[in-house]
Amino acid sequence: MTSPVVAMPRRRYARRARGWKNARRFVLPIAGLGVMAFFLWPYIVMLFDALRPSGEVLATPPTFFPKTWTGSAFVQVITDPAFQNWLKTSLIVAVCATVIVMVVAIPAAYFTARFSFRGRMIFLGLVVVTQMFAPTSLVVGIYREFYDLGLVNSYTALILTDAAFNIAFALWILQGFFAAIPKDVEEAAELDGCGRLGTLFRIMLPLTLPGLVTAVTFTFIAAWNEYVVALTLIQDDALKPLTVGINSYVTAYQQNWSQLFAASLIAIVPVVILFALIEKHLVGGMTAGAIK
Amino acid sequence: MSRALATRRRRPRGTAGIAEALLWLGPALILILGIVVDPAVALVGTSFGTYSITGLRKGDAGFQNYIAFLTSPDLGKVVWNTTVWVGVVVAMTILLSLGLAQFLSKEFFGRRFVRWAVIVPWAAALVISSQLFRLMYDYYHGIINGLLLWLGVIHKPIDWLGNPALIMPSMITVGIFVSMPFTAYLFVAGLNAIPGDLYEAARIDGARPSQIYRRITLPLLRPAILIGVVLNMIYVFNSFPIIWILNGSNPGFGNDTLITYMYKIAFKSAQHDVGMSAAAGIFNVILILIAVAIYLRFTNWRRRDES
Amino acid sequence: MKKSLRLGAVVAAAALASMALASCGSPSNSSAAGVSSIKVVIAEYSKDHTAKFWKAFATKYEKTSGVKLDLQIINWNDLDQQSSTMVQTGNPPDILNENAYASYAADGLLYSADEVLPAATKADIIPAFVKSGTYQGKFYGMPDLSSARALFYNKDLFAAAGIAKAPTTWDEFTADAKKVNALGGGVVGYAQPLGPEEAQAELAIWLFNNGGDFKKNGKWTLNSPENVKTLEFMKGLSVTDKVTQNNPGSTNRTDGAFPLFEQGKAGMIVGFGPLQSALDTQFTSVNYGIAPMPTGDNAAPQTYGVTDYLMSFKKKGNQDAVKAFYKLYYSPDEVNSWIKAEGFLPVTTSGLASFASDPKLKVYLDTLPNIHLTPTDDPEWDKIGQTIKQNIGLAVAPGGDVKKFLDDLQAQAEAGK
Repeated sequence: MTSPVVAMPRRRYARRARGWKNARRFVLPIAGLGVMAFFLWPYIVMLFDALRPSGEVLATPPTFFPKTWTGSAFVQVITDPAFQNWLKTSLIVAVCATVIVMVVAIPAAYFTARFSFRGRMIFLGLVVVTQMFAPTSLVVGIYREFYDLGLVNSYTALILTDAAFNIAFALWILQGFFAAIPKDVEEAAELDGCGRLGTLFRIMLPLTLPGLVTAVTFTFIAAWNEYVVALTLIQDDALKPLTVGINSYVTAYQQNWSQLFAASLIAIVPVVILFALIEKHLVGGMTAGAIK
Repeated sequence: MSRALATRRRRPRGTAGIAEALLWLGPALILILGIVVDPAVALVGTSFGTYSITGLRKGDAGFQNYIAFLTSPDLGKVVWNTTVWVGVVVAMTILLSLGLAQFLSKEFFGRRFVRWAVIVPWAAALVISSQLFRLMYDYYHGIINGLLLWLGVIHKPIDWLGNPALIMPSMITVGIFVSMPFTAYLFVAGLNAIPGDLYEAARIDGARPSQIYRRITLPLLRPAILIGVVLNMIYVFNSFPIIWILNGSNPGFGNDTLITYMYKIAFKSAQHDVGMSAAAGIFNVILILIAVAIYLRFTNWRRRDES
Repeated sequence: MKKSLRLGAVVAAAALASMALASCGSPSNSSAAGVSSIKVVIAEYSKDHTAKFWKAFATKYEKTSGVKLDLQIINWNDLDQQSSTMVQTGNPPDILNENAYASYAADGLLYSADEVLPAATKADIIPAFVKSGTYQGKFYGMPDLSSARALFYNKDLFAAAGIAKAPTTWDEFTADAKKVNALGGGVVGYAQPLGPEEAQAELAIWLFNNGGDFKKNGKWTLNSPENVKTLEFMKGLSVTDKVTQNNPGSTNRTDGAFPLFEQGKAGMIVGFGPLQSALDTQFTSVNYGIAPMPTGDNAAPQTYGVTDYLMSFKKKGNQDAVKAFYKLYYSPDEVNSWIKAEGFLPVTTSGLASFASDPKLKVYLDTLPNIHLTPTDDPEWDKIGQTIKQNIGLAVAPGGDVKKFLDDLQAQAEAGK
């Protein structure tokens, strides 16, 4: 797909368009560098803080580059068995929660996009309203619930909670994408003998890939960064996820800032990797010209 | 263009019975009802109880918690802060993300790396990003003051987080910064859902880029913008860490939004009362509902976007 | 028919998935009522020592008592919320480590020492801590560790400013602070943390050294003349004398005041053990001294102390298990080795003896028997302390009203009675 911005009427803008076409080969990547710098600079500051001795992090006056370079914070964090446990929990919980959300949200989104039924608006409304409650104010009820179920201090509790809280987004965005797929695509598939489920998974889902990528990214990050529920439901140090565990690096009586930041930077990596793997599907889907 | 648009307009939905609906929606419903709705109901119960500072329930409060909350002297300021915080962060996030999404949708050398970079503020835990910004804003050891002093722009550090006039703008900046990646990717997905042939048709018709943007891109991006605005409203309303941490060293309730005020009522104030805090939580949800309803009403979503 | 079969398959798959997940989760403890296990909630003092000590302790406890110890370590910031959640759901831990206990005692949730503390252990606890742990004649709040505050000063800055020794009176203090402040280069005379993190401690230590207190003879004296004078003095340090760091009312201890002293940018600060260990290990370039607090009333200096508590919740069948917990905790090997590791001060007379060999602790240990604590034995203090933390910063700001702040506090305390 060529970008819409170059699309100027041929006669009047031909020369300018050609000039721009040449220029954009340089302008866009340079602008891209600017955008990268804008979004990364706080994390570059964080990286440099992780690469200095902890005592230097709050130095007055501050320096951008470490006065003493040291990778010891990274080494300490990576070799810390506690950190490895937290990382494991975060991965298990985020992956499982994302899978559950997709499994339950895809059929629900498809169905609400394609069919009217009594209670449809109530269902969609309920989904939105559940998002409005701040998790902080719900933790007491959540704790009671999982305590009664005997699931306090388990991955299951975190997985189910993270899944439940993030269905809404996935459902909403996928619903929009399903609704935008022309009916004739689906009808053609059904005529070809696909059942409703077959149509959904073989024909419809590939067309919603950009939405699916967004929903997966969103759910994974939300579960990855969830804090207050995990804090409340998990007792064992070894079962804590990263967000809760890394609190330990900076307490009221002992501050290991560089370890906190090293751990936080490491925690970003799996998310970026996941995103890098699925990012190419942000393009595609409908733009492939499914209508023809 | 018109042909393609026509097929995208309202499509009749099939009808289905409740039983079939339950089959498709069942798992989602069970999770939501079981895990979100039940504690929400419990919250309502808490808001009608009298609680000791320890969290022990002492009896029924009737509407006392609501009355106490609605008459607390700081409420006006807190609601105003919340309005400014949500209004500015959401509006700026949407506007800036529209531009960013356009940019991220263009083909250029290195785009993939730019996309990976933009995901980082979203991928980083909000608590940590907030902590980081707190250090960067600091009067003495903050890198922002360090940089400005070094450049000679200022001669005395700026108290970004302690000066009442600057704390809200400082927090809002962080709020926008961390909300943009999510919103931009939502829009990138939305942009990619717009069929390429629409643009082709428009180009052949001789439309200018600005016309294409206004007549095709924006209208077809409406569902994504709607989701973006509503979800950002909800999340920014309930965004706790930025305000909690950046405002963490300031006394009183002058810079709090509802969500941090609610937490302070429960654990960090003279009241120290989870019942009153629950009442505040319910109030917060009602306020979000009203805000979202006003937005939806304002944009006439049902008439034009029901599909 | 075929269609609905497939639909059923989807639902079944979803259900299976969640069941599979349920089984892939970790084993959850049954925490059955009774004595098969106890839940112990501990505040996290430091990453290096807290978990390490308590995990080893749990193993020993399980071996000696035969009861499983479920340990949960929670950071200080979230502790209030977490303990409240547990109490609200009717599921308090068996042992809770907190900085307040009186409200729990007032709610009738706790065992008193008579029920769970061996008599010999109680006799060993320093009387000042027994007193602060006693609510309405019964000892509920067992001290886990203590700390004492003293004036830390930067010897190099003092020398540069031509000051020979640490100040003993408030006049000397102000004069010294001015001299250090005049050195320039971003150096401040006194680092004053009055932000919401721990402002009640900063207030307490100055109050106590001017003949003031929060409570005297069982009556609240929050707005006594000497208290008003003290807070006026504290405010004057930043507003008129300008010897403090920028905006003390918005400065917390951990990430505001301490770093200034650690970076050699503050002449004086009120410090304690953990600051000392940071200075000795991480910030070795700071040449510091420790002195008793200067006084405003020419009386002998008072040492402000803090203790945190271990309290035990009455639950069916857990009395013996709790008793075993305290017995093991207060055995000298346990309590003292933990306190040493965390850099705090002992809570027992035997501990005093065991710590006496450390010359660095002498300045504190001598004062410990006469330590001056906040009224933690009054449940009302649990709210007063919060109000001080939250609002004192407004009172000491340039436009703030010190007298009104203390009057309001007094009114709040009396209304609670």
